[in-house]
Amino acid sequence: MSVTKNNEDNIIFSKIQQIKESAYRFITSIQFTIVLLSLIAVSSIAGTLIKQKAPVEEYLSLYPEGIYRIIQLFGLDDIYHAPWFYALLVLFAINLILCTLRRLSRLIKTKKRIILPEEDDLKNMPVSFTVNGKENQYVVRMLKRRYRATCEETQGAVFEKGRLSQYGSLIIHAGIIITLIGSLTGLLFGYKGFMVLRKGDVKDYLTTGGRHGKIQPLGFSIRCKDFAVTFYPGGEPKDYVTTVEIIENNKRIMEKPIRVNHPLSYRGLRFYQATYGNEANFLFTIGQERVTLREREVYRKGGLSLMVIRFERQIHDFGPGVLVAYLDREEPKTIWFLRDVQRLKEQKVAGIPISFNEVHEDFFTGLEVSRDPGVWIVWTGFASILFGLFANFFIYDRKIYLRNTADGILIAGTCKKNHERFSEEFARIEKEINRDNT
Amino acid sequence: MIIHDKILGIVTLFYLLLFVVHVFYFATRKERVLSFIWAILYITFGLHTVGLLMRWFESYKLNMGHAPLSNFYESLIVYAWSISLIIIVLKKRLLYPVITAGLCLISLGLMAYASLSPSVVHTIQPLIPALQSNWLHIHVITCFLAYAAFAVSFLCGILSLLGWKNFVPPQENLEQINYTSIIIGFPMLSAGILTGAVWAHYAWGSYWSWDPKETWSLITWIIYALILHVRLMKDWQGKRMAFLSIAGFISVIFTYFGVNFILMGLHSYAT
Ligand code: HEM
Repeated sequence: MSVTKNNEDNIIFSKIQQIKESAYRFITSIQFTIVLLSLIAVSSIAGTLIKQKAPVEEYLSLYPEGIYRIIQLFGLDDIYHAPWFYALLVLFAINLILCTLRRLSRLIKTKKRIILPEEDDLKNMPVSFTVNGKENQYVVRMLKRRYRATCEETQGAVFEKGRLSQYGSLIIHAGIIITLIGSLTGLLFGYKGFMVLRKGDVKDYLTTGGRHGKIQPLGFSIRCKDFAVTFYPGGEPKDYVTTVEIIENNKRIMEKPIRVNHPLSYRGLRFYQATYGNEANFLFTIGQERVTLREREVYRKGGLSLMVIRFERQIHDFGPGVLVAYLDREEPKTIWFLRDVQRLKEQKVAGIPISFNEVHEDFFTGLEVSRDPGVWIVWTGFASILFGLFANFFIYDRKIYLRNTADGILIAGTCKKNHERFSEEFARIEKEINRDNT
Repeated sequence: MIIHDKILGIVTLFYLLLFVVHVFYFATRKERVLSFIWAILYITFGLHTVGLLMRWFESYKLNMGHAPLSNFYESLIVYAWSISLIIIVLKKRLLYPVITAGLCLISLGLMAYASLSPSVVHTIQPLIPALQSNWLHIHVITCFLAYAAFAVSFLCGILSLLGWKNFVPPQENLEQINYTSIIIGFPMLSAGILTGAVWAHYAWGSYWSWDPKETWSLITWIIYALILHVRLMKDWQGKRMAFLSIAGFISVIFTYFGVNFILMGLHSYAT
């Protein structure tokens, strides 16, 4: 009885083993690669057709509510960051890693000792010829000029060229894995933020995370020394430059310009010129006090509370004006001040004399800040991909054999691809070796 | 009219001439016509190059100094130029006149669209700060060489489906030419995407941001990667390869035109 039980167990065990094996084979197969790549491509297409990361109202104005629910359910409003999209990428990475490892192990296993084939085998190769009346040494020297000798014995020698191409696809695939590792590193340990600076501002933090901005300390201070925009004669912007100073422990470390395409890099952080804008400062005299206010900045003193809610550069012909809102016994009121009209330049608000003296327009600059410790890994991946593509497609592996026979020196060659080009090269070599033979 | 405009106008006529001579060849089948075609092709390519260089030179005279790679008009012209370059580089393998005829027709279409469409701005425009980078040159050139190579692959796909007996080369040769063009196109596209990513890192602070043009270039890249892997499976060759080559080129067209016109993003030249 126990025997049959054991047998059953064995059958089940081997079934599981079989399923495991075929699952493993599928996961490492190119068929699975094709499925995954197709799915990634289709999802990417969807991401360009469905509006991404828009506010709810926009979806509801574009699609019926039922469809919006589906969009939300599957995260189709942010496909490239949806869990299932990451899952696809992870599966792809696993497929690629296993596939690459398998190929690597096969390359290592099949790396046989290079031996010189027999005379008959050489004669059956796609290209061959026999040299007479030449020194063996001389022929070897000729071949060594173009090829690498990988095996030399008294009978003859083996020469090889373009060995690298065998590793081409391996290097490409490794490059893709490295790139994925690099972007994962950036995802886990990096962040992005934003920083607005006015001329003269000093900041030692930045705001990260878009809508729900978080404060991230920099570990040093950055001071905006200057900001300038230059224009082409036609009026298009030519260059934006923020000149900043890096300050650490109250010491000025360096002064550098930041312009589009030329970020500043310091302590693993990069500062990019992202945007700029215009901002007006309003100079008031309130009572006896000189005050500078920006739009929406609240001034509060004693019972008086006011702010500038609107600025016009030109009100009819009367020059610049500001609309000031204030509280009059808890009741909100507004009043216009005009700089160039005496009667409207100085007015009393809640019994206090206020004078609108001047407007200064200043630029502010918006810097994008990012820390991405994975970026060098990504560059390494990119370089491997390109190098691997070059090795795989533009180099090809070929061997030339030399053997001393009774009829003379037999030379033969083989290659796996680019047969035509190899035949041409082989013909050239034959000609060269025979050149001063006649 | 400025001189580079004139030259490029003449180049357009030369592509028309090339196409007509091809038709003449198909009508007469005189082998001598073929060497005539190649002669015109070299002249056209030379003129085309001169036209682009003149435009480059002119931009320096206008104090804007940049290679003609910066707006839609210039990219159309560069695309047609890249196609001619690919024809010349692959001369030995493209000996079938039906393929060169198809390519000349595509070039003619691009040139004609560039010069005749009222929506395409011809003037040399100043470079906005984001485009002022040395990466611009290598990025644009590699992308358009890839697109040109993929045009060859596309033609092979179409011809292999049409299978007109008297025009179309044998299936085996078509597949060989198709593969050769992908061997050039795929590394070029890879270089284009990767240099674009490096550039984006320096210009915008992130090497990949899933903007529609980036995404579509990735889709194109995936399709050609699929083609290369499908080739490894024997039972997948033939018709399916032809369909995939056509799909790949449709994706190229969408990456190049569709994104500019239908979807908007960082890349649209409009802003
Ligand atoms: C987007 C991702 C990928 C790219 C860009 C890529 C690229 C390439 C390229 C260019 C080749 C050379 C093809 C040729 O010589 O004609 C190749 C070959 C190959 N790839 Fe991939 N590959 C990718 C993903 C994968 C994955 C995930 C697998 C795992 C199953 C895989 C398995 C192979 C195999 C087995 C070869 C043939 C190797 C050889 O004959 O040397 N590839 N790949």
